[in-house]
Amino acid sequence: MRIKAWVSLTRASIMEFLQFRLSAFVMFIGNIIYLIVIYNLWKAIFASVDNGIVNGMSFNDTMIYLVLASAQFTFMEAYLVWEMGRSIQSGRIVLELLKPISIEQYKLFGIEGGNIAAFVVTFIPTFIIVQIITKGAIPMGINILYYLIAATLGMLINFSIDFLIGTVCLYTESTWGINIMKQVVVLFLSGAVVPLAFFPSKLRAIAMFLPFQAIYNTPLTFLTTGDLSMFNSLKMLGTQAIWVVVLFALAKLFWRLSERVITVNGG
Amino acid sequence: MSKLRFYLKIYGKIIVQDIKSKMSYRSDFIISIIGILLTDASELLAFYITFLNFPSVCGWTYHEMLFLYGFSLIALTPLQCLFDNNWNLRHYVYDGDFIKYCFRPINIFFYFISEDFDTKGIGQFFVGLGTLIYAWTKLRLSVNFISIALLVVALISASLFMIAIMNIAAATCFYLTNSGYVIGTMSKFRDYAKYPVTIFSTFFRLIFTFIIPIAFIAYYPSLVVLRPEKIPILTWLSPVYGIFFFYISYKVWMLGASKYSGTGS
Repeated sequence: MRIKAWVSLTRASIMEFLQFRLSAFVMFIGNIIYLIVIYNLWKAIFASVDNGIVNGMSFNDTMIYLVLASAQFTFMEAYLVWEMGRSIQSGRIVLELLKPISIEQYKLFGIEGGNIAAFVVTFIPTFIIVQIITKGAIPMGINILYYLIAATLGMLINFSIDFLIGTVCLYTESTWGINIMKQVVVLFLSGAVVPLAFFPSKLRAIAMFLPFQAIYNTPLTFLTTGDLSMFNSLKMLGTQAIWVVVLFALAKLFWRLSERVITVNGG
Repeated sequence: MSKLRFYLKIYGKIIVQDIKSKMSYRSDFIISIIGILLTDASELLAFYITFLNFPSVCGWTYHEMLFLYGFSLIALTPLQCLFDNNWNLRHYVYDGDFIKYCFRPINIFFYFISEDFDTKGIGQFFVGLGTLIYAWTKLRLSVNFISIALLVVALISASLFMIAIMNIAAATCFYLTNSGYVIGTMSKFRDYAKYPVTIFSTFFRLIFTFIIPIAFIAYYPSLVVLRPEKIPILTWLSPVYGIFFFYISYKVWMLGASKYSGTGS
């Protein structure tokens, strides 16, 4: 029964995404422009060092890492905080609470279909272009499978954090500010702005303890390093899985506690 | 002249009302300011971390890059504070509420834009100013009346470019439904304004100079202070070009508004 509801929510969100094909195309163009800027910028930056490798990262690694981080952002970011804030302010949240399925499941399956569709339409083409530009620098092997698992887990972590922060909107009546704060902290500490490999060691140690790196750094590491041992790979995926469980439980608990403060003016 | 005074008076009145209504959401104001400050802090930290690993970018040092960044933040403040309503334009057009602007005996563009004064841009201004002053002292650039005056002119003309880009991006909603992604994509270009345009190959340099002129937001105008020994002709042209570009965007916006036919409700 549950599964049927999940499947139809997923299907609905894929259809919704496909309604806005032009928007997906512009997202893809946005990725390409970002790629051009990042390519030129880091080419110029790497021109200032002699051997071409800094902290174990070559120019190609940095390119793959940053461009695919941004491409990953475009398919993962569903603006859930934004949407939850708006439905709390407009009172539409009441209708969502009446659904015969828990709100976090309703939200999760309502976005994940769009994420999958965006992955196919924007991420895969960007991936191919990066592979061509770097002349096949992304290793293609078992690590691609690991990447897919890690990206799925990353998406779930991202969802849980979004849901947690979206719940804060019940208390603050602020959406824009909360959303931008979340976005900045997540992107920076996950290594999507500057790769974690370039961080000073102390800051990197802190970042590795936080869940954010599991959203971008873990999946992307599978794409830049092909020769990770089985043990290391499973350890990274295991860490992600723990974060998924912890954060999802936390988000669920926080929502249960906060549900009763919902006030809707008229409607 | 009396017309200008008339518009200034109206502007003051509208803004005061807007600020009053925003004051009723005080926590939102504070959270938004913190959000903007965090964004700027993460950019500064990104510069810092990059320069821990690399000595320079295309011959530009850490402090010169900070100068460009501070300059771009100040140049983008008028856009953030005064022209933020462009983000809402598509909702007004889509829902049919835009019609209210058509029934006023004042300029539509002026009335629409003046309705929103975005207070959170002020935080960004001070971060920009602080960064600029820090970089200025570290670079030991001369401080005199002429350099300050040139800087102010450069900042004003720089601010026109991104405003013009956003005007045109917002005006696409008169022609396309659901054009939110256009303004979203164009607004990302401001993030690239802080890099010297010399990092790009000739082709993209031309694009970022003449078609999507983000090189004028920080790079060209700040050369006046940063590299006074060899200022390119484009730097001197930037005020003229800025006004021209702003005028074009205004015309595009107004043309779209004149085509607006309402939704019938």
